[in-house]
Amino acid sequence: MMDSQRNLERLRPLLDRLTAAVSAGDAPEFERVLDDLVHGRRKDLFAELRRLTARVRQALESFQLNARFSELAEKDVPDARQRLLHVMKLTDEAAHQTMDLIERATPLVSTLVSAAADPTAPSVVAAATKLRSHLSDVHLAQGYQDLTGQIVRGVIKLVDEVEATLAGLMRIAGEAAEDQTIAAPIAVNGYGPVVPGVNHGAALGNQQDVDALLSDLGL
Amino acid sequence: MSTAIRYLVVDDFSTMRRIVKNLLQELGYQNIQEADDGKTAWPMLQAGSFDFVITDWNMPLMPGLDLLKAIRADDKLKSLPVLMVTAEAKREQIVEAVQAGVSGYVVKPFTAEILKQKLDKILQARAAATG
Repeated sequence: MMDSQRNLERLRPLLDRLTAAVSAGDAPEFERVLDDLVHGRRKDLFAELRRLTARVRQALESFQLNARFSELAEKDVPDARQRLLHVMKLTDEAAHQTMDLIERATPLVSTLVSAAADPTAPSVVAAATKLRSHLSDVHLAQGYQDLTGQIVRGVIKLVDEVEATLAGLMRIAGEAAEDQTIAAPIAVNGYGPVVPGVNHGAALGNQQDVDALLSDLGL
Repeated sequence: MSTAIRYLVVDDFSTMRRIVKNLLQELGYQNIQEADDGKTAWPMLQAGSFDFVITDWNMPLMPGLDLLKAIRADDKLKSLPVLMVTAEAKREQIVEAVQAGVSGYVVKPFTAEILKQKLDKILQARAAATG
């Protein structure tokens, strides 16, 4: 506010000269004053640019110093995508498996009805109808996989953007090539389920492998 | 006659295609084909003879809205019933779909009853129109 007020005050004499030149029809004077005016603006602009460049350089330097950023850019963010893709795969498989079982279970309702002492007894008919309807609802409920999948896909898109932005910053900071290996601390809260493509060191694929290890350890 | 209706179910999620297909089968329809995107559905519609399209909106290559517009702009296909079954539930989107000529709109998650109601309504309107 104060700055722009001061700028206006500074410009006033130049503007007065401009108006005077116009009234007097003095074209060369008009050009001269206009040049002065533009020159002044340009000087301000360059000063501001210099300040800005220094600030960006400073920011990039501190960014470069922070090893956490390179870890984020090169490992954690790509891992996050891998995890999300894996969630989609797991829910897809689980939903299809559930639907497989429902589709196999539904015809068994008729088998049970015909095996009943009295297949036309109202209680048998009512139970069969209810059971079919519940099975059908469980089938329909697998639609959660589509809904959650769409949401997860949205987050994957965001992860892609974050990764691209981080990679761009790392490139500018000039340290993308530096391969710093940071000893990963053992996660206090555990790593969660194994996600293919996300490496926390050797994980065991199945119970057999776990049992083999336990037996090796004398358990 | 009605159970002979040829359906094309378009959704990029195989779980949802399977659910819709199963519901159609429970309603007695047997002639059901699937496409995993508007882009794969389009040549199928051009080549095959379908009576009814059930499509998702949000698909990676060709969204359902674009598929709907392409159908409405095609001389051969323009009167094909198109039911949108989608998680997109914003008012403007539904308005847009209606303006593009959608025949019905079901928001996910939906019930079997809702899908049946929408199908019946569209099929009745179609029967009335074709006399």
